Amino acid sequence: MELFSLALFFISLFGLITSKNMVKTVIFLMFMQTSVIMFWLKMGIESTAAPAPPIISDPNMLKDIADIADPLPQALTLTAIIIGFSVTAIIVIMLNHLFRQYGTTEWQEIEEMENKKSC
Amino acid sequence: MLTFMVIIPVLLAVLLFAFSSNRIAKAAAVFIQAALFVVSVYLVLITRGAEVTTVVGSYDGILGIILRANSLSAVFVLITAFIFLAVSVYSFTYRERKDARTFWFLMFLLEASFIGLFLSGDLFNVFVLLEVSTLVLVILAMYDRKNRSIFHGKVYLLANVVAIQFYLLGLGYLYRITGALDMERVGESLGAMDGQNLILPYALIMTGIAFKSTLIPFLSWTPKVRLYENAPTVVAAVMSGLQAKAALYLFMRFQEMFAPVAAQQFFLIIGIIAGLFGAVMAICQTNIKMILAYHTISQIGLITVGISHGGEHAYIGGLYHAVGHAVFKTALFLCAGIISHSYGTADVHAIRGVMKRMPAVGIAALAAVLGITGAPLFIGSVSKYFIFYYVDSFTKVIVILLGLGTIISFVKFSSVFFGRSDLAGDAFKADKCKMIPVVLMGALCFAGGVFGTRFIYFLFRFPAAVDFWAYVQDAGIVIASMAGGYFIYKYLISGRAILNRIEKINFSFKQICASIGIFLAIMLVMIGYF
Repeated sequence: MELFSLALFFISLFGLITSKNMVKTVIFLMFMQTSVIMFWLKMGIESTAAPAPPIISDPNMLKDIADIADPLPQALTLTAIIIGFSVTAIIVIMLNHLFRQYGTTEWQEIEEMENKKSC
Repeated sequence: MLTFMVIIPVLLAVLLFAFSSNRIAKAAAVFIQAALFVVSVYLVLITRGAEVTTVVGSYDGILGIILRANSLSAVFVLITAFIFLAVSVYSFTYRERKDARTFWFLMFLLEASFIGLFLSGDLFNVFVLLEVSTLVLVILAMYDRKNRSIFHGKVYLLANVVAIQFYLLGLGYLYRITGALDMERVGESLGAMDGQNLILPYALIMTGIAFKSTLIPFLSWTPKVRLYENAPTVVAAVMSGLQAKAALYLFMRFQEMFAPVAAQQFFLIIGIIAGLFGAVMAICQTNIKMILAYHTISQIGLITVGISHGGEHAYIGGLYHAVGHAVFKTALFLCAGIISHSYGTADVHAIRGVMKRMPAVGIAALAAVLGITGAPLFIGSVSKYFIFYYVDSFTKVIVILLGLGTIISFVKFSSVFFGRSDLAGDAFKADKCKMIPVVLMGALCFAGGVFGTRFIYFLFRFPAAVDFWAYVQDAGIVIASMAGGYFIYKYLISGRAILNRIEKINFSFKQICASIGIFLAIMLVMIGYF
C-alpha cells in the first residue's frame, strides 16, 4: 500500500511534467492528492493486524484498543479532501475561463499566445 | 488572547462585506487594525519571558488545536499587523467600486490566515492555512481581471498545489515517525532520533517550503513574479512583504525542528544562488513592479544566507533583514503603485522626474531604496552589518556581491526619481490616505537604521552591539559599491541587447514541476539519503 501510494505520487508527478493538455494536468493533480491521502490512511492502520473503524456504537463491544485504527489521520484526511476539492474547483473555473478566452486547453498553444501578447 | 488575534480579522472581513461602501465601516476597520497592531506589540513584549499558549476547544494537552506564540512568531505577527494597517490606510479612499466588498473580505481573510499560520502550533493546521492563503492570494492577484492575470494565476496555483502535496506527504512520514503533529512535541522527539530515518520527511517537507519561499533556483521564481505584474498594488505589497516571509518563517521553524539532519550548507548555497541571480534578473526588467518582484527573491536569498550560515549574530542579522524587508519593500510597492497610477505607465524608461512632481513620495521611496541597498544610517545597513561581520570570508565576498547586485538594480530603479517629467502640465494631486503610510514607512527605514540595535533588542531580546569603526568600514564598502554600481550600470550594462533577452525568459508549468522533482532528488543526494 505504502509503496503503491508513493509510486502513484511520483507517476503523477511524471504525468504533470509530461501532459500537454491542461485537463490532463488537473487529472494528474487529483491523482497526486489521492496518493497522499492513501498514504495517510495507510498510516493509521499499519500497527493493527485486523483494523476496526474508530467508531464504536456500543460501549460493551469495545475491542482491544490496539485493534482500532488511529482516528487522527482519518480526520485530517477528511480536511485534506475538502481542501483538495475546493482547490480543484477553482482550478477548473480558471480552466473554463482560459478555454473561453483562447479556445484551447493545450499548454503550448496558450503559452504561445500569451508570449505573443507580451511582446 | 491568541484566538482573538485570529478571529478578529475574520469578523472584520464579515463587517466590511456587510457595509462595504460605508466610510464608517472602513474607519472602524482601520481602527481595529491599529488596535491589532498595538496588541501584537504587547504580544512581542510578553513573549519575551515565556511563550503564550492557547488551546482552542475544551480539550487539553495535545488533543486540542494549539495556538502558540513564541518570540519568533510574535515578531512575524507584528509584521503582519503592521503591513495590513499600512495597506488598509493606503486604500482608504481607493476601490470604491461596486465589487470592493469582496476585495476587502478576501484581504482580511488573508490577514487572518497569515496570523493563524504564524501562531499555529500544529503542523497540519500549517498545511491548511498555507492552502487557504494561497487560494485567497491567487483570487486577489487576479482581481483586476487584466487579460494575462488568469493564466499566470493558474500556473501559480497549480505549482503551489503540487509543492504543497510534497509537504503533506512529508508530514505523513513525520507523523508515522513521531506520532505527533504538535511542533514542540515533534521537535522534542526528533532531537533524540537517528538521522537516517528523518532524511526523507525532511527533504519532502523542505521541497514544499523551499518552493513556497521561492528558494528553488530559477523555476520557482517565474510563476510568482508573473503574478506580481498584474496584481493590484496592495496585493503585490502583501505578497512581497508577507507571503515570502510566511514561508521563510516555516523554513526557520523546520530547520530548528530537524536540527539533526538540517542541511545548512545546502541552503546556504541555494540562498547565494537566489541572491545573485535574483539580482541579475531584477537588473534586466523594465517594469518597475517586476524590478521589485525579482528583487524580493534576491533579498530572500540574502536572508537565507544569514539564517543558514550558523552563528547567532548572522542569524539575528538575517531575521532583522526580514523585518526590514517587510518595511521597505512594502513602502516601495506602495510608492510604485502611486507612481505608476499617476504616470499611467510602469515602464522604468518612461517615468522621469518623480522627485519634482511628487516630492513626498519621492523622498519616501528614496529612503526605502537607501534602506534596501544598506546605505549607512538606514535600516538595511544594520542587518547587513551583522550578516557581513559574522560570516566566513567566502560568504563575505558573496554578501558584497549581493549588495552590488542590489545597488545596480536600484540604480536602474532610481532613474525614475530624477530628470524632467513630461507630464509637467497636470499637477499631481496628493491623496492623503495614500501618503501617510508611505511617508511613515520611509521614516521607519531611517529610524530602523539609527536605532537599529534598540529595535533588535526590542524584537529579539538580543543585546547586539555595533562597533563604530567596523560600521564605518562597512559604510565605506557600501558607498564604494554604490559608486561602482553606478558606473557598471551606466557604462557596462545599460542598453545591452542581452537585457531584453533575459527579461523575456519564462518557464512553463511543466518545467516548474520538473524543477520541483529535481530539487527533491538533489536534496536527497546532498544530505546523503542514497
